Amino acid sequence: MRPHYPIATHRLDNGLRVVVSPDHSVPAVAVNLWVGVGSRHEQPGRTGLAHLFEHLMFQGSENVAEGEHFAALLAQGAQMNATTWVDRTNYFELVPTGALELALWLEADRHGRLLPALTQGNLDNQRDVVKEEKRQRYDNVPYGTAYAELTSLVFPEGHPYHHTTIGSMEDLDAASLTDARDFYSRHYRPNNTVLSLVGDIDPDDGFALAAKYFDELTNPDVPSDRPLAAPLPPLIGPGRIEKTCDVPSDRLYFGFRLPAGGTDDFITAELAFDLLAGLATSRLYRRMVRQDQVVLHASRNAGARIDGTSMGALIVDVADGVSVERVEEGVAEELHRLAKEPPTESEMAAALADVERWWLQSLAQPDERADVISGNALLYDDPDHLNTYLDRVAAVTADDVAASAATWAQPESAAVVVYRTEEN
Amino acid sequence: MVQPRPAVPLAQPWAFPPESRHLLDNGIEVLLYNRPGQHITSTRVLVPAPIAVEPREVEGVAAMVARTMDEGTLRHSADEMAELFEVNGIAYGAGYGARGLTVETESTAAKAAQGWALLTECLQEPAFPPEEVSRHVRQRLAEIEHEDASPDMRAAKECAAVFYDQRSRASRPAGGTAETVGGITAARCATFHSRWIRPEGATVVVAGELDEAQVLRELSATIGTWQVETSAPQDDSLAALVAEGETRVRFVHRPGAVQTEIYLGSLGPDRRVAGGWAPYPALSFVMGGSPNARLDAVLREEKGYTYGFRSVFRPRSEDGMFIVSGSVRSDVTVEATRLTLEILDNAAAGFTEAETRAATDFIGKTAPARYATADAVADEAAMLRSNGLGTDFISSYLEQLALLRAADLDAAWRKWVDRPRTIVLVGDADRHAAGIRELGIGDVTVV
Repeated sequence: MRPHYPIATHRLDNGLRVVVSPDHSVPAVAVNLWVGVGSRHEQPGRTGLAHLFEHLMFQGSENVAEGEHFAALLAQGAQMNATTWVDRTNYFELVPTGALELALWLEADRHGRLLPALTQGNLDNQRDVVKEEKRQRYDNVPYGTAYAELTSLVFPEGHPYHHTTIGSMEDLDAASLTDARDFYSRHYRPNNTVLSLVGDIDPDDGFALAAKYFDELTNPDVPSDRPLAAPLPPLIGPGRIEKTCDVPSDRLYFGFRLPAGGTDDFITAELAFDLLAGLATSRLYRRMVRQDQVVLHASRNAGARIDGTSMGALIVDVADGVSVERVEEGVAEELHRLAKEPPTESEMAAALADVERWWLQSLAQPDERADVISGNALLYDDPDHLNTYLDRVAAVTADDVAASAATWAQPESAAVVVYRTEEN
Repeated sequence: MVQPRPAVPLAQPWAFPPESRHLLDNGIEVLLYNRPGQHITSTRVLVPAPIAVEPREVEGVAAMVARTMDEGTLRHSADEMAELFEVNGIAYGAGYGARGLTVETESTAAKAAQGWALLTECLQEPAFPPEEVSRHVRQRLAEIEHEDASPDMRAAKECAAVFYDQRSRASRPAGGTAETVGGITAARCATFHSRWIRPEGATVVVAGELDEAQVLRELSATIGTWQVETSAPQDDSLAALVAEGETRVRFVHRPGAVQTEIYLGSLGPDRRVAGGWAPYPALSFVMGGSPNARLDAVLREEKGYTYGFRSVFRPRSEDGMFIVSGSVRSDVTVEATRLTLEILDNAAAGFTEAETRAATDFIGKTAPARYATADAVADEAAMLRSNGLGTDFISSYLEQLALLRAADLDAAWRKWVDRPRTIVLVGDADRHAAGIRELGIGDVTVV
């Protein structure tokens, strides 16, 4: 089954791209903005700035007092948040239809007129909050820094993806008010932003409201971005990090370079990772968890990135009494096998059926739909992606998957991070 | 030019989508929520048997039954079952809560009936192959270690252990402890299943774009055929008895921890509380539901001690808990604990009309979007049903919510403010336990 969500697009004179997808089944509208700025745009010595900036966007703007953005929208029944990732920062709220204009007014004020409200006090306070976020999510939990370590092995020093979005404590401390102002001026601009409206709104009304509130936003003369990096080949002589620390079980992370997002090659690689560790019938799961019982849990993720090269990971928890080396050998054998023995018809059917279900289930939410639209419009100029993705997945053959695994997911090109428990 | 701030018109009134109610031949109740436009059909099957009926020495067996019912049946091996679900794109899950078993499936509408046939097979004739059960036991034992290593889960577990009387099931983890899980065998799972997992009193909730007549035919042909021969046992076990006495403070020692998790639990109401449930979600919001709420306004936005504090009234079928939690950087452990308690104490001085309005507006106006999808409707209906309530509860509490004034919040807060309380800290006790003792907030034990 395929979705057919209506998509209407429009561009304001200042370059802001607007996408409207009407759905009148619920009296609410998802407002979603993607700005083309993430941790890959950060300069050496200033990691974490994109994410710190996301926090500052909630601290008031020229016509909105500190705390008022949250208060005004929550009181209208908005559910809202923002997130930062390597390629972008997104801001979103799901509001009752009547509060749509208020939401657009508030967004226009902070996306166009933030600087008058940006103070040293706000910066210092949110810097502290972000440091606690880093401690809570990364530093004070088992394996919390493993993904950052894996990333640093997959992407070389100096590459835009070498560091993670949360940044380092030293760089967060070093961020000055001038850094923050310059960052905003360079990256927060209408021609680097997509606005999506999904829900109880028709295209012409949505475009008119976008123009009413965002038309006066302007672009600075400096370019917001540099040309994209050249794709990286699979790792040669990949690095390895071994740690022995206070963790509950031995765990292995395997990291791989993958084709850039927005390509059929990436979709094929994504499917290869599903077939390895995405399902109970996937190869690693079936053999290592269910049959040999040497692994407690296996999982994968393959995240699309725009700057030339994406990243994929396999994560396995080693069962008690089993050696890390034995598990590593088993994973290597399965990676080799996928390259040589394409998935069977039923393996492919299971992977496709799983993608179909989770895709349709996540799109059932208007806010999720808006996020998919904004993201694919901003990064890949493909606002219709939500309707076409399943066809692209279905076009992948078993031989494509094997070829993709042979190129991108072999043990010889896997960066490895190992966490060992202290008692071993 | 910059536009003036727009005014917001009144929102349209809203009610939870109505259900249609039916009975299958074997007595299972069916609740259908037709949601046109939804591509996915969400199903929840509830089997009522309180977790407190588990034998003490194998606590966790109920959760283990939930996890292993799909790992092979009389007709299919574990691998075959996994393939049958996954080739059809049916997501299957099962879990055990305080009130009983919940089995759920998510699938495209076209595959829903196939999902019902498979989940009926899991409910009716699970094989509990010993090698599958022992694998899940090992996985569960490892999970327990992972839970204990996570500061927030460790705090929640310690809080329940101290807050509830040791005789009651609620004082111990629903999934069992390392000691009790280690004793679970395939035979124990089979015994628990045959005794307690039965069609009497069970309910099926289905939400999605439905052809009701067809859905009823397909449910009758699948879960409607579930029968057991034996008679139902009775349950007289002890569920949730609160430990009496003064406030107790537990400090779980984590040498060198860079943060301290602060976790407070006190007695709270259930959904049937006199005076109505509506004030409690509003109080949760005012105290700890946003960056502007009382806790975060100080601890996050003013002091920068934390990424965020949350508060929530969490109802059980009888009574419940009020929980406040968050983590702070290690060196402000004592001051943040003192401030948290001060903020809670100050609430007795009363709430403002503006706070009340902000909370009731937020909760009331978010309702239509919160229940926009089939899975959200099915989850809410199933959760309420397991507590003996219908989804008319949502509409009636939203009506009460809209009428609340600050005085109603004050009255609700006063009812629970002096009830038994437990405070758990997970952090570096060597550095901070003495300072916590000096606060004089209760007996401090370091564990």
